[in-house]
Order: sequence, then structure tokens, then C-alpha cells
Amino acid sequence: MHVKAYSGRKKLNLRAAVAFGLFSLANGSLAFAQAPTPFAAQETMDIGDEPGRISTEEVVIEDGPYKRQLVSFRSSEPAGTIVIHTSERFLYLVLGNNRALRYGIGVGRDGFQWSGLVKVTRKAEWPDWTPPPEMIARQPYLPRFMAGGPGNPMGARAHYLGSTVYRIHGTNQPETIGHAVSSGCFRLANGDVIDLYSRVAVGAKVIIRHAATL
Amino acid sequence: MFHSIRQGSCAISIMASVLATCIGQSPAYASTLSDVQKRGVLNCGVNPALPGFSTKSASGEWSGFDVDFCKAVAAAIFSDASKVSYVPLTATARFDALQKGSIDILSRNSTWTLEREGALGLLFAGVTYHDGQSFMVVRKPEVTSALELNGAKICVQAATTSQRNLADFFKTNSMQYQEVIVQDAAEAMLAITAARCDVFTADQSALYAERLNLTGQKDVIILPDVISKEPLGPATRSDDTGWFNIIKWVNFALINAEELGITQATADAAIQSKRPDVLRFVGADGALGRSIGLDEKWAINAVRAVGNYGEIFARNVGVKSRLAIPRGLNELWSTGGILFAPPLQ
Repeated sequence: MHVKAYSGRKKLNLRAAVAFGLFSLANGSLAFAQAPTPFAAQETMDIGDEPGRISTEEVVIEDGPYKRQLVSFRSSEPAGTIVIHTSERFLYLVLGNNRALRYGIGVGRDGFQWSGLVKVTRKAEWPDWTPPPEMIARQPYLPRFMAGGPGNPMGARAHYLGSTVYRIHGTNQPETIGHAVSSGCFRLANGDVIDLYSRVAVGAKVIIRHAATL
Repeated sequence: MFHSIRQGSCAISIMASVLATCIGQSPAYASTLSDVQKRGVLNCGVNPALPGFSTKSASGEWSGFDVDFCKAVAAAIFSDASKVSYVPLTATARFDALQKGSIDILSRNSTWTLEREGALGLLFAGVTYHDGQSFMVVRKPEVTSALELNGAKICVQAATTSQRNLADFFKTNSMQYQEVIVQDAAEAMLAITAARCDVFTADQSALYAERLNLTGQKDVIILPDVISKEPLGPATRSDDTGWFNIIKWVNFALINAEELGITQATADAAIQSKRPDVLRFVGADGALGRSIGLDEKWAINAVRAVGNYGEIFARNVGVKSRLAIPRGLNELWSTGGILFAPPLQ
């Protein structure tokens, strides 16, 4: 898999007062994955630099099944583990005592779904987006690079999964939550991914479960 | 044994019934299936109106979680899910109707208890829905557990098991609460809106249904805690174990279908599968259906009619319904719940 390096630019997002009508690059493209960034080129994050980043205007799913909620969830995994049920479009953050926080997610479209066991290897705020070459090949109209920010399909936060090109990230299209539209990434509404980001540590185990296939 | 002699042919069926009677089995034994087949329709007892579980549309169409189970049984027997006659029954009339034989199965949100099997002559064929008493909490977004409800004003319906369970739970955990008695759920919703109480306790499925009536309220949480066991499932008479087995295995088949990844949409593809367990399910490999008196396509026909367990749940009470109840305990054993079915082997 091709790895593209770029120097992560720090995005100070006082523009976090997000206008989600801004689907600047959407043009029907619903597929987002990000090229892995070598750790040498990590964004540096300075929490103190970011007053106002977490805006009250951030979109969260407010009702229905994809609203973030506490649910009963039996698991022998330690608290802090993420369990993703691709076919149900849910991400569970295990809290222990047979309960979990459940978030609605968008998942990979058919042919782009996967399962496995990985770790969160890195976290980033308002990540840049560099579509990998195979994605450009499929969707030539995509930009080659897009700086992080409210119009970016990667959304407000990204959790990098192992050494894969896949992420748990935000989105500039919260209406796609609950659907199978991505190139294999898992997306949450920005307000929800910000919440998840605050609860998940680098090194957390991520279990991706997919329904049995015939 | 008996069923495998009888398969397919009416004449043999009658002979076999006579034989069964001669060798001393009660007439009821093994007759439910042949009665249903002769009648050409399954008589299924259902709730007259319970959102998500059993409702009748203005055009007379029945739908819901419990209704889909009737359809699955009909599809397993007749390869036709429409061959069901729905018999709406009140809570007080339901067990009588089953005992008297006016229905073949009762698929009506009934809790499986010892008393009902021991004293009423019924058998519960399994659990289709694990319900339990829980708490709806309003205006207290910080609450994550029922153990944080010390001092809360709690609405509860008068003279219900919920009222007793509530008292037991608080006593067990050395907590205090202020009981606000209401006559029904509608009054509870009014009391919540008027802030006479901040918590309503009832069975979890009912709380999700009532939440639909609280659209003006923000910060409504239904806690994942469950303080009582209410396993709901279909019941049959206890004098016909052959029939009981059919109902039991239709339930198991729907659960196994989800575990195997067989859905309504992939039922045709499943027949082409290379996996032995999928092939057993579709009847291409072995003749499991015949051992319970049905044809070899019984299980896949049930899934073709109503989908697997997960699809039935999602459509009627889960993510694709207005109720949006989380699967919770009703997840498969392999994905965080307690739903488990023995293998189709």
C-alpha cells in the first residue's frame, strides 16, 4: 500500500464554529480514507493553543438510534476498548460493568468493509486529508490534498488505526451516519468524534466485527 | 419418527394419526401440526395493540415483532407467511385461548415463568425478547446508573410488579426515593412534563415506546440497568411436544440465521454457499426439517419471509423503527448479548 508523507500542518481551528452546510468538496463523493502519516511528520498538538475549538455548534446526532447513548453491553474487554459492529453501524466504547457508550457511525460501502483487531496508534485534531492514490484512481475528481478544517471530510478528529489507511474520524456530512458509504473508514458526527476523542487513549484496542458472510 | 412417516401425504398422515392414538398417545399429541396443515392456516394469538410488537393497520394488516414470529412459523410450515389467522387477545384471555385450542401458539409478549408452565399447562418455546424493568431519567444528564438515583422522585404504576421491584431495588441498595404513584403510562408522562417526577420506571420496551411521547423534553435517558428479568417468548400447550419442538426450532433458526450471516436478501445466495453450516440451514445438506415434521426448506423459508432475528428486531423495535431500542441483552452471545441458539445439526 502506498504511503504518502506530508508534513502535518497544525490547524488552529478557531474556525471550529463550524458551518456544516459547507460541503466544499462533496460533489457526491462519499468515500474518505486518509493516507497514513509517518510519525515523523505528526501534527503537534498544543491543547493550550486551542481555545474555543470545541464549539457548542459542533454537530452531534441528537435523536434516534445513532444518538450517543449508554447501553448494556457484555464484554470481557477492558474499559477503554473500542468495539465496532460494522453491519449495525455502531461503535461501542467499553466502560466495564456490562455497559458501553454507543455511537452511530458510517462505515465502508460494500467491498470496503473489513474486520480485525488493531490499536489506536495516533490521534489528531482537525486532520489534513491526503487521499491515497488508489482512491484517486477510483475517484479522480478528489483533491490531492486538503488542509484540516470544517469543510474537510475527515472532520474534527481522527484516530489512526494500526498501520492501516483506516481511521475513526469525524465528517463534514453527518447525514451519512448510519450508512455504508466510506472507503473503509469509520466516521462519526463531529461533536460525537470529539467526545470519543476525549475518552480514548493512544494504545486502546479496537475490535472491528463484521457480520458473518455466506 | 412419527413425523418422518407422515411427510407429504395426507393419507399416510391419517394412518399415522390413528397409529399414534392406538399406541396410547393422547389425541392432542402430534395433532397440532396436522390440524394446522389440514386447516391451511396457523392460528396465532397476539396482542391487540402494542407498538413495535403487534399492531393492526387501518387496512387490516398485522405487523410487529411478535407478529413476525407467527409469520416465520407459517413460512416454515406452509412456505407461505400469509397463512396466519391473527387472534387478538387481552392479557387475561391469552392463556385460556391457548389451553382451549382456539390458538396454536401464543406470540404475545408473555413472560416465561415457572407458574405458567407448572400450573397452566403451557410450555414456553424459548425467549424471543429479553425485557426487564428499567428507568427513564429526565433532566439529569449526568446520571449513568440506577445506583445514582438516591433521593429521586420516581413515577411508578400502581399495583404492578414494577412497584414491588422498585421498592426491592432501593431497599437492597440502601437508597431512598420518593414514590409518585400514577395510574398509567400516560399519566406518568404528564407527571414528568410537570416535573412531579424525574424518573419513570417500567419495562424497558415500554419506556422506549413512551419516550416517543416526550419529544419536547431534552436530556431523556433510558438507563441500561435492568432490575428484573422479563423473558418474553412464544408459548404452546404442554401436551404436544412435537409441535412445541417446531416452535422452539423456528426461534432457534432465526437466531442461527443471524449468526451465520443469512438474511432475507441473501437467502438465495445462501443456497450457493460453500459453508457446511449454511448448507445445513438451507436444507441442501441433510434433512433436518423432516425430523421435526417439516420439509427441508423450513428454516430458509422462515428467513425468506421475515428475515433473521436481527432483521426482525431492527425492523420492528430496533434501529429501523421509531422505538429505536438498543439490542442490549438481545444481541447475539457473540456480540455482547445473551442470545444463544443450539446448532442446527
